[in-house]
Amino acid sequence: MVSSIDPERMRLSNSGTEGVLVGFRCGDCGVRVFGPATFCQACTSGNLTQVEFGTTGKLFSFTVVRVPPAGWTGPVPYMLGEVELEEGPHVLAEVVDAGEAELAMGMSMELSWQVVTSGGEEKAVYKWRPAGDTADGKGE
Amino acid sequence: MPMRPGREVMVAGVGLHPFGRFPSEDLAGMARVSVLEALKDAGVAWKDIPVAYFGHVYYHGMSLGETALSKLGLTGIPIINVENACSSGSTAFWQAYWGITSGIFDLALAFGAEKVPSGPVTVTGEDSPERYIGGDHMMAGYALRMRRYMEDTGAPATALAQVSVKARQNASLNPYAHRPQTYTVEEVLNSRLVADPLTLFQCCPTSEGAAAAVLCAEEALDRYGVDRRRSVRIAAACLTSGNYNGRGSDHSAFSPYRTEPAALQAYEMSGLGPEDVDLVQVHDAATIGELQQLEALHLAAFGEGWRATVEGRTALTGDIPTNTDGGLLAMGHPFGATGIRMIHETVTQLRQEAGPRQVARARVGVAQCSGAGDVTTVHILTK
Repeated sequence: MVSSIDPERMRLSNSGTEGVLVGFRCGDCGVRVFGPATFCQACTSGNLTQVEFGTTGKLFSFTVVRVPPAGWTGPVPYMLGEVELEEGPHVLAEVVDAGEAELAMGMSMELSWQVVTSGGEEKAVYKWRPAGDTADGKGE
Repeated sequence: MPMRPGREVMVAGVGLHPFGRFPSEDLAGMARVSVLEALKDAGVAWKDIPVAYFGHVYYHGMSLGETALSKLGLTGIPIINVENACSSGSTAFWQAYWGITSGIFDLALAFGAEKVPSGPVTVTGEDSPERYIGGDHMMAGYALRMRRYMEDTGAPATALAQVSVKARQNASLNPYAHRPQTYTVEEVLNSRLVADPLTLFQCCPTSEGAAAAVLCAEEALDRYGVDRRRSVRIAAACLTSGNYNGRGSDHSAFSPYRTEPAALQAYEMSGLGPEDVDLVQVHDAATIGELQQLEALHLAAFGEGWRATVEGRTALTGDIPTNTDGGLLAMGHPFGATGIRMIHETVTQLRQEAGPRQVARARVGVAQCSGAGDVTTVHILTK
């Protein structure tokens, strides 16, 4: 079965067919942080509870990377989107299922994921895509 | 955090190895060139140096600071290798300052050198999930900031390109610069895209080079034969790492104004304010970086840095001359050397020794350097 390449940022559920972004909420100051945490980034409290975030957000900024970094095995050029979740945190990921010209600041985005082969294993990597195209929210 | 500076500390001497590409030279040898120049400039003998801090990032073997300095004579002093990303050199300088002001040492050497590999700069380890996500790309991070900045402020692409044009003009007056050739706004905008909307000529080159500074307690200047008239006072030395930025992530691309806490500390420590600053060196790894650093230093209002550029205020003849030696964009960016290169230029300007790029009024200079990990250093020098 496919597993998430980074289960502390995206967890797969429902037999690996649904992805959800995960992070922590601080029980003391209320700040929500995307990804792994042991102590609160804002107030240093250890009173953290793991939370699931929604799968949608707004496009805060984006770029088209035309000179890829070392080790990048995806397409070139590729689009990167910085998405502001409804809960506040910003999440950076590749944008898929869209042409460059379709991207616009503030547009609604939804979580997607794609499978890559890493160390001989199939791993799901989270992506962004423009919201609302299909019902399952899963990229090809 | 409370800061308790003690004795006055001066920059006694500075030195540079030219920035560029030097395939036939090794890193230790390049570093030594800058160190010997700084010692000569200070009039200080190597055998009198009691401690040295060496900034560098990329791996060329262990204990490189020791390797570089051993050829000057094995004097047995503590030599500390410093890695703080692009702020490694300025962090070494910061350590040298605090080692002297606290009374531990009378003198200190801070130096840095680098041979940055070609290609996009990445921050994380090769097995990091960031690599698969595609977000570990320094210039892509700047591109995200740039598009948002343009959206929020209305800054036109030509204003950002002007930052590069100005940098090249300054570098054309600097014999040590990696990229001294000038170009026009159109040439900047028409250079190939690296990460939209950032074009190649709006990104700093990956460079090789070295820089060094000799620091001395003010009260010890005469004892070591330092020329008091050419020494420059360090009015503030501040170093910060990331402050929580409210965006629920520690990603550097999401913290465009992370310099502000260090800037406010530096103004408090020096008793000076933005209105007192005559010239500034900031971390312009990309054009957008210069604008946001100027704003974080309160030298331009938030969202207005681009107007200061368009109006010529950041040029050598303006009221906030910025990156007077060409900056990272045109002087070049050998990580470990960059922060001390900024000190070199500030000292040179405050001594009125900058030749054709000398700014008219140079009494107070700021040097601001950023690094991955949300590192920021801000130093204020006065004459």
